[in-house]
Parts: sequence; structure tokens; C-alpha cells
Amino acid sequence: MTIVLETDRIRKVYPGGVVANADVSLRVAAGEVHAVVGENGAGKSTLMKILYGLEQPDAGEIRLEGKPVRFPSPRQALAAGIGMVFQHFSLVPSLSVMENVVLGAEPHHGISFDRTEGRRQVRELAERFRLPVDVDAPTGAIPVGQQQRVEILKALYRHARILILDEPTAVLTPQEVRELFAAIRTLVAAGRTVLFIAHKLPEVLAISDSISVMRAGRLVARTATREVDEAALATLMVGREVFLQVERAPRAVGPTVVQVQGLRAVNEAGLPVLDDVGFRVRSGEILAVAGVEGNGQAELLEVLAGLRPATTGSIRLDDREIAGWSVRRRRRAGVAFVPEDRLTSGLAPGASIAENLIADQVDRPPFTRLGVLNSRAIRSLAKRLIAAQGIKANSIDQPVSTLSGGNMQKVVIARELAGTPRLLLVSQPTRGVDVGATESIWQRLMAARQEGTAVLLTSSDLSELLALADRIVVLYRGRLVASFNDPAALTTEELGAYMLGLRAQSAQAIAEAS
Amino acid sequence: MRRLPPWAIELLAVLISVAAALGVTYLAILKVSQQPGEAFNQLLLGPLGSSRTIGIWIDDDAKLTLAGLSLSLVFQARQFSLGIQGQVYLGGLAAGLVALSGMGTSPLAIPLGLLAAMLVGAAYGYIPGLLKARLGANEIVSSLMLNYIAIDVFTWLIHSYISDSRLGLTNSPPFPAAAVYPALVANTRIDLGLIFALIGTVATWFLLYRTRIGFDLRLVGHNPRFAAHAGINVKRVIAGSMAIAGLLGGALGAVLVQGQAFGELSVGFEATISLEGLLVAIVARNRPLLVPVVALAYSYLRQGAVLMGLNSDVPAEAISIVKGLIILLVASGGLFAWLRPRAAADALVPVIPGDGRQEDAGGV
Repeated sequence: MTIVLETDRIRKVYPGGVVANADVSLRVAAGEVHAVVGENGAGKSTLMKILYGLEQPDAGEIRLEGKPVRFPSPRQALAAGIGMVFQHFSLVPSLSVMENVVLGAEPHHGISFDRTEGRRQVRELAERFRLPVDVDAPTGAIPVGQQQRVEILKALYRHARILILDEPTAVLTPQEVRELFAAIRTLVAAGRTVLFIAHKLPEVLAISDSISVMRAGRLVARTATREVDEAALATLMVGREVFLQVERAPRAVGPTVVQVQGLRAVNEAGLPVLDDVGFRVRSGEILAVAGVEGNGQAELLEVLAGLRPATTGSIRLDDREIAGWSVRRRRRAGVAFVPEDRLTSGLAPGASIAENLIADQVDRPPFTRLGVLNSRAIRSLAKRLIAAQGIKANSIDQPVSTLSGGNMQKVVIARELAGTPRLLLVSQPTRGVDVGATESIWQRLMAARQEGTAVLLTSSDLSELLALADRIVVLYRGRLVASFNDPAALTTEELGAYMLGLRAQSAQAIAEAS
Repeated sequence: MRRLPPWAIELLAVLISVAAALGVTYLAILKVSQQPGEAFNQLLLGPLGSSRTIGIWIDDDAKLTLAGLSLSLVFQARQFSLGIQGQVYLGGLAAGLVALSGMGTSPLAIPLGLLAAMLVGAAYGYIPGLLKARLGANEIVSSLMLNYIAIDVFTWLIHSYISDSRLGLTNSPPFPAAAVYPALVANTRIDLGLIFALIGTVATWFLLYRTRIGFDLRLVGHNPRFAAHAGINVKRVIAGSMAIAGLLGGALGAVLVQGQAFGELSVGFEATISLEGLLVAIVARNRPLLVPVVALAYSYLRQGAVLMGLNSDVPAEAISIVKGLIILLVASGGLFAWLRPRAAADALVPVIPGDGRQEDAGGV
């Protein structure tokens, strides 16, 4: 095993005293797929940024093929053959795939851009590394999975020998993940080295040759992939045993809480995003809405919460028609909403923790009397919620923005689950959340289900949907195309086929199942 | 790093700004003046010279406080309505019409004048709010345009109907004594307006921090998307915040025209003092209880500059240097980021809209 890239006791302390990397000695062998796993805040991203020249270590050194190197900026890292693909792509949507790939290093005839040569080179790269793309398509118009290929091609075009992928599978469908993995194997076969950060352990086990585990800024283990299993990895990551299986009490299904019929809605551009959607959710059950992002799940939850008007259709909550109701009126009737973008829609960062915790019920007694706030009631509720959720804060008066990301998430969930809602809308409950927090969020959702709340869940993580759902419906281009009463019998591949519109059930079958 | 409490850091930042601004002003005075010592002396100590100048200082404080409160309130909702000038003119007009009417000689002249001014100010403040909520009109533009309309309407009415135009006057007849605020200290300008300003301070604080209206208003200011999520009618709060700020703007109009300084309606009475409330609101960081304190300091400098203009060869406009630098230094709070603990400095950075992902945010 020849070590192509290694770090020697890298140390990085951020202003404010957060130790992001403490004596991290990473070793990556030539021609392998090396995964770096760890919880949020374990220091994975920091380490990758240091390797790519985006951050400078406070101590320690990087060695490339045994020689010490320094990367003051990504330019030097690229020149040394290290490329990186971020979770958030940096592509110009209006330019073609070819133009994006060659941007900044265009082939040229004198001063004119040689497009034919550009096309030829990008096609050749794409074929060689099994990254099929339409080189002339506008980049903004192709699916996320293909945009990711464009990013990888960008790095390869610049002769990257070591490719760093930051959570590459987070945005992909199961099929796209398989294609990405095929491409990664081709890359490795062609002598490239791939280093990737991941959250999802099954994927890590499927693709990597070796794994480094980080915990609290330290590299706690390095192992060959064939020598570990999921449970062992999870234990290493969190330092204790974690079972990523949520306990399901037998379901005690109650009466229908919400009944949706013929629901249609449009987006900001006036285009239809929901088309004749109908389903019901009963007390004590979790209905999951599966779908590739952008097929109407987000809009569906917004319509139910009252944040987006329905153009037609009926929403009945406990036998009352609520389609015309304001957000506040729906909240009073027991609708709660944990939005996908919790930090931008779910919190007021500059307001205090207490204010964030009671924002949705501040309008009713005992928190307001005759328009005047009752500080004592507000503070006592806030303190109770903080204690119940284990939110780590010095004071309920500090701005919510001073909390860590995970604790901010807990503030949102604490608020939305505070009053045992009738209908709980949850979007991406564990996106960007680590293993330990995922477990506790799943348990909270299960607890709400046990208490009789009707839960409507969307997530791009199919294993999450399968683990939590009592029933699953699939949205494709704003329409319900499938409904399943027994998620345990489903595989992610089957579900994926419906999500991609390859298969669809008849309207009758859907109606019968739901 | 030693950690100072946040309020001490803010105070230190302001004091450094003021000191730096005064330092630069001193250099400028050295350059232009034949008698720099005297000029600077007037600037720094002039206001304390006589009971008359102290009176002007305190009176300005009252007026700047009302202006600063109005702007602080609307800024807390993160609305940049600068319509206070128009509210002052029309509010003053309403108060003046009450004072010049049959009611002017009754004991109700003062409360009714104030009430009329506040209602007119609120109505006028509501217009840009309505335009924004209904049509998405930018409130900065609409409120500034409404200022010009109000000023010109006021001037036209004075010239054409209210003053004795045969004499070419630019003011109304004096108000009856019952309609002029009694002086709190004899032979100074300090009058009932100071009491109103202090009541306004406490009322604004109470409204913002102890009532549901204030809670909704601040939440909209912090994050309108979240406010909507929590069930707040964001458009109504936006329009409402401008109307409430208009109440204070209108009150300032009454306090000006019915105060000891005027006791009449006259063209240009406002003399841009209401927009100087902008500096007060910025330095006070929109916190109502700090507004009178900041106003006190600022009106002192303002009065010092006037005296420097009168008693030395440096024009009063030199104070613009101080004003400009203070706004620059305080408003660009990032200059003092090194004083603040990291978390607090981060809080100044808006959350970047994204998908809520916080990968490794804890470590960064």
C-alpha cells in the first residue's frame, strides 16, 4: 500500500476556541476509495477544506507522495492534483455542460475559444470515466445527478488525481447513487484516488475500500471496510452503541384526522405543482410522501400549513374545512409544521430562545392577556421545553443564533411538538443531522404517533421513510402515482421506480389503498 | 481573550467612534481655523455656557428622542420607512389647526392638539405601509416622496390660507397661551414636550417588549419567513409598524409647533431634526430606552456646533464631519467585531438562505 496523501498531526482551532481538528493524521492509499465518516461537527469538512487549501492548519503538515506541501489556496491544491466536489455545486446554469467543465481553462485557437476541441475533450473524459453527460445541454436544465457529474468532470479536466467528494450522495436518488458508484469504481480503476465524506453508513460500506472515523475533532479509527459492519462504525462514530432501528409499537389507528381531496396548487411562476392530490391521515399513523425533490412534496406541506394557497380542493381537519384558514387559525386547530429549511423558515436567529419557543402560541392565553405578554408564563414554558429537549443553552434569553446547529434544530422540534398537535407536518426531519440526533428525532416522531398525532412526513432519505412510515404514497410531478399500505414489503429500488415515474399504479388502486 | 459583557462592548464601540470622530473634526478645525482652541472649546463646552443654551440642548433632546423612537420602532420591524418628516409636518399642521381654532383657548388645546397630530401622523405613516403590503412598493422611495408632498402642502397652506399673506409672512398668528406647552424651567425652552418624550420612551419600550403587537413586530424584523410560519400576518405587521411609528412622528409635530420654541405654525419649522433621529436610532441600536440617552449626547454636540459657528470662525456645518463619521463607524459595526465574542459577531451575519443543511457547522 503506497500512501499518496497523508496529514501529520493537523490541528485547527477556530476563533472562539472550537477545536475542529486535533492532531489528525489521515492516510490515504493510492488508488483506493477512502471514506471519512463522523457525526456533525466531528471535523470532517474542516479536514477536507484544509486538504483543498480552503483553510490553513494551525499546526501539522500535509504530505503528498511523501513530500510536504502547503496549499495557501485551492489553486495550489488543484495544481498538485487535488480536486474537490462540494455539496453545493458551483456551476453556471446558463452555460452548457462543456462550457462549465472547461471554464477558466478553455482550449483555444489564439484568442478564440475552440468549442469543437472543448466538446471533444469533455466527451472523451466523460466516456473514459463513465460519466455520461450531454455536453451541449444547458447545465441548469439537467438533473442534480448529472450536475454532480459535471463537477467531477471539472476536477478531472484539471487533471485531478485525488478527488474529494463532500457528501456526494445526499442529493441523489438510489439509481443515481448506483451510477455514481459505478463512476467512482471506474475512476479508481483508472488510477485515481477518491476521498469522500459521508453520513449514510450503508453507502460507505458499499463503495469504500477503507474508512477513517472522526469523532470530536480526532481521528479515532482507520480500518479496512471489509473488517467492519454498520453497527461497529456507528459505535465508533458516537462512542456508544446506536441502533438505527426505531422501535415501532403496534399501530393503534384512530379516526381520520385530515382528509385531502382534489388538491391543486401552483408555484410562484404559476405552474402547477400539485395536481388532483387526495389522501387521508389517521390519528396515530405516519403517512410518508416519497418523491424526488421538486415533485410537489414541499408545496404539499406548505398548502396544508396554510403558507401556500390551494387553487382548488378540500382539506378537512377533524371534519372542518380548513382550506381557507390562516396559518394562525390552523395552528390553533392543532396543525404543526417542522419545515425543511429550519434555520431560514423555522427560526428567528436574532430573537431569544424563549421567543423562538413560544412564537406560534404567543397569541393565546396564558402567554398574552389583553395584548400584554405574560413573561412569567412564557419563561416557564421555555424553561420546561429546554429541559425536556435537552437543549444546551446558558440562558433562555440568549439569541438562538448563539446555539449550535443541532441545538437550533431541537428548538424548532420542541416548539412544534409542544402542544401534542393533531396533525404534524415534517419535512426532512434528519437532513444534515448526525446519527445520535437522528435516533432521538425518530423516537420523538414515534412518540407523537403513539399519542395519536397524525403525522405527514417527507424525506429524501428513503431508508428513513421506510423505517418510520405506516403507509407511503409517492408523488411524481405533483400527482400521486402510488400508495402502499405495507412499507416493510417495499425495497428502495421499487420505491425509486415510482419516484422516477418509471411505474405508476392505477388511480383506482391508489384510492383503494389510501 | 478577555470577555466583556455585550453592553460594555457596544458602549466601548460607540465611545471609540465618537472619540475618533471628534479627533478628525479637531484636525479639520486646526486646518481651517485661525483660533482652533476657541472653536473646539465652543464645540465641547459651549452648550453649558448659560441656562439658555442648556435649555436649547435639553429641548433638542426631547425632540430628537421622539424622532429616534419613531425610527427605532419601524427599524425593529426591519422596515426602512423614512416618512417621519412628512408625519411631523402634517402632525404639526393638525396640532396648529386645533390651536388656532376655537378650542385653542380651552384647557383641551394641548391634549387635543397632540391627539390630532398623532392620528394624522399615523394615517400618513400608514400609506407607505399599505403601498408596500398591497403593491410591493419600496417603502424608502414612497416614504421619502411623501415627505416632499407633505412639506409642500404645508408651505402652500401657510402661504395661501393661514398666514397674513398681505404682509408676506411665512408664519401663522401666534397660538393662544393655553395652546402653548408650559415651560418646565422658567425662561428656557424646556417644556412639557420633554415629559411627552419621556412618556413616549417608556410607552415605546413597553409596546415593543411587553405586548403581542411588539412581539409580532420584532419577529417580522428578525425573520419574516419565520414570522409567517408561526402564524403572524406579516403584511399587516409591516403596515402596522409604519402606522405606529407615524403616531410618534405626528406627536413630534405637535411638540414642535406647540412648544416654547414656536407657539405658531411656520414654514420649515421642522428644520430636518426628524431625520437626525436616524443617527440617534442607529447609535441606540433601535433600543427605545437608549434613545433619550443617545439623543442627549447628540443634541449636546449639535448645540456645541451651533455655538462654534456663532462664536468662532469655524462654520457650524463642521459638525457634519462628526455626524458622518459616527454613522459610518457605528453603523459599520464590523469594525468592532474584534471586541465581541465570536458568537455575537456571527449573529450579525444573516443566515444564508439554503436548504438548512448544517454539515459540520458545529465545528466551523
